[in-house]
Amino acid sequence: MDPLLYVLDLIVFIGIFGILALSLNLEFGFAGLANFGKVAFFLIGAYTYALLSQIGVPFYLCLIAGATLSAAFGLLISLPALRLRADYLAIAILTFGEILRLIVKSESWIAGGDWGISVSPAIAISGGSHRVDVLVNIGLVYFCLLICFVIAQLLANSPYGRVMRAVREDEVAAEALGKNRARYKAQVLMLGSAMAGIAGGLYAQYLQYVLPGMFMPMVTFTVWIMVLLGGPANNWGAVLGAVLVTLFDRGTNIAKDYLTLPIDPSNLQYILFGALIILVLLYRPQGLLKESPIKTKALESVKRERSVVKGKGS
Amino acid sequence: MEEGLLRIREVSKHFGGVYAVNGVSLDVKEGGICGLVGPNGSGKSTLFNTILGIHRPDGGNIYFNGNCINCLAPHQIYALGLVNAFQLPRLFYQMSVLDNMLVAARGQQGDKLLNSLFLRRKWQEQEKGLIEEALEILELMELDKWAFSLAGELSGGQRKLLEVARALMAKPTLLLLDEPAAGINPVLGRKMFQKLEDLSRNGTTFFIVEHRLEILFEFASWIYVMDRGKTVVGGEPEDISEEPAFYRAYLGEE
Ligand SMILES: Nc1ncnc2c1ncn2[C@@H]1O[C@H](COP(=O)(O)OP(=O)(O)O)[C@@H](O)[C@H]1O
Ligand SMILES: [Mg+2]
Repeated sequence: MDPLLYVLDLIVFIGIFGILALSLNLEFGFAGLANFGKVAFFLIGAYTYALLSQIGVPFYLCLIAGATLSAAFGLLISLPALRLRADYLAIAILTFGEILRLIVKSESWIAGGDWGISVSPAIAISGGSHRVDVLVNIGLVYFCLLICFVIAQLLANSPYGRVMRAVREDEVAAEALGKNRARYKAQVLMLGSAMAGIAGGLYAQYLQYVLPGMFMPMVTFTVWIMVLLGGPANNWGAVLGAVLVTLFDRGTNIAKDYLTLPIDPSNLQYILFGALIILVLLYRPQGLLKESPIKTKALESVKRERSVVKGKGS
Repeated sequence: MEEGLLRIREVSKHFGGVYAVNGVSLDVKEGGICGLVGPNGSGKSTLFNTILGIHRPDGGNIYFNGNCINCLAPHQIYALGLVNAFQLPRLFYQMSVLDNMLVAARGQQGDKLLNSLFLRRKWQEQEKGLIEEALEILELMELDKWAFSLAGELSGGQRKLLEVARALMAKPTLLLLDEPAAGINPVLGRKMFQKLEDLSRNGTTFFIVEHRLEILFEFASWIYVMDRGKTVVGGEPEDISEEPAFYRAYLGEE
């Protein structure tokens, strides 16, 4: 394969997983919602995109539709989230993802079952090479990543971000301080799911096909490793985690083609992932980057004033 | 008798077979500090949590400002101006002291999803004012030096102070405080009550559980005594301290 294509391919994957990591970071890092079903919303986005693109819907509408449907499912999932204890919720969402995958796998009238369906390119450039195609995808993916990042940053550094963190820290206290935790959880899950839906659409668009095997629970765990490694409640951390884990994941994938090992290299990859997560939790439980404190204009100016006063005093 | 700001009528709350609150009726009148005392386990905290909507009462009614609030969720009760500080501080430990305060402010512009994104000017303007208010309260509680530290870095006594400070940030009509002076040095405890007394002149009513009887009796205008889930007696502090039922509650029968 063209070595430049390896690099471009890596860049696309980093972007798509960056969006997934940002969305999980919003839910888990900031609001404390342990979403172990991330792949479900990724799947909804991808299949919505694929099915709509087949009937000729323009790509941006496919993306928006995927995000919307995914958000609707996020809302649906948030309803039991209020009743269930956190650990039961985790199991419930995890199962939800698997059920969805099994449905599209066995109900072949929906989207071709095991064989999946193909997706036509978003922007057809006549006579464009494969490289140009990938470059178009990079543009699209990073545009979406940027939007998601800006939204996540604006929310994290606003009174809304303060409430998300308060709900994470102590939801009973947050409720007693006037915050409708049910509403906040529903909104955060909707927003996170919308982002995952967009990532799914981009994934379908880039690979130009969808099939059930792309949406194994391992995707969810990969995103979790990204967030835990990068540092929960830090959007830069989420992106950093996506970069590192994708490099590792794709790197070992490529190495697979050149190495002969006594065991199945895919299994080795899972073992290494497991070891990585244990190492992170043991030695760097807060992740590579620490939680970023809330920054607003007013807070920053008070902080500055105070450091000036302190400087004079000493 | 004139209607109280908070009226509790025959309220009960049991946990399995334990009648933590068993048919309590009492009134908290507007203005001043109303005290609630009683031995450990007499149901004071449970009564508070029931008033706040954290527990559903098993029987009876609770009225605030004339409205029945039994069926409201805690956040709705808070919105009416009935706020509390927990006996064991429930702070947001991974957030700064100042952010803990700012969460509690009532009527915020920016704590709604769309407003936080699209009304940035508006909430930024509002936040300036809120920060000033928060710093004033923190100064009062001698916590202003720690405004930018994480709440988790505070000592036990300071956490208690922040719990009370955070509740004050909501500018409540009625503030329930569950043992605010416990674990705080006596000088600061008295100072805190003096501040609360000042605030009570400006329209905040306080309903306070406190084991530091000497402080409470000095500042409260009315005291209720609870024992084994019931209010046994209520009156002005001078009368209560001569009331045999008060001693019986604390010292047991005989
Ligand atoms: N969540 C609960 N579950 C079971 N029993 C409880 C619970 N909360 C309080 N109790 C019991 O109710 C009684 C009253 O407790 P509490 O209201 O904390 O008393 P106080 O605040 O006056 O010391 C005690 O016997 C306590 O063990
Ligand atoms: Mg108590």
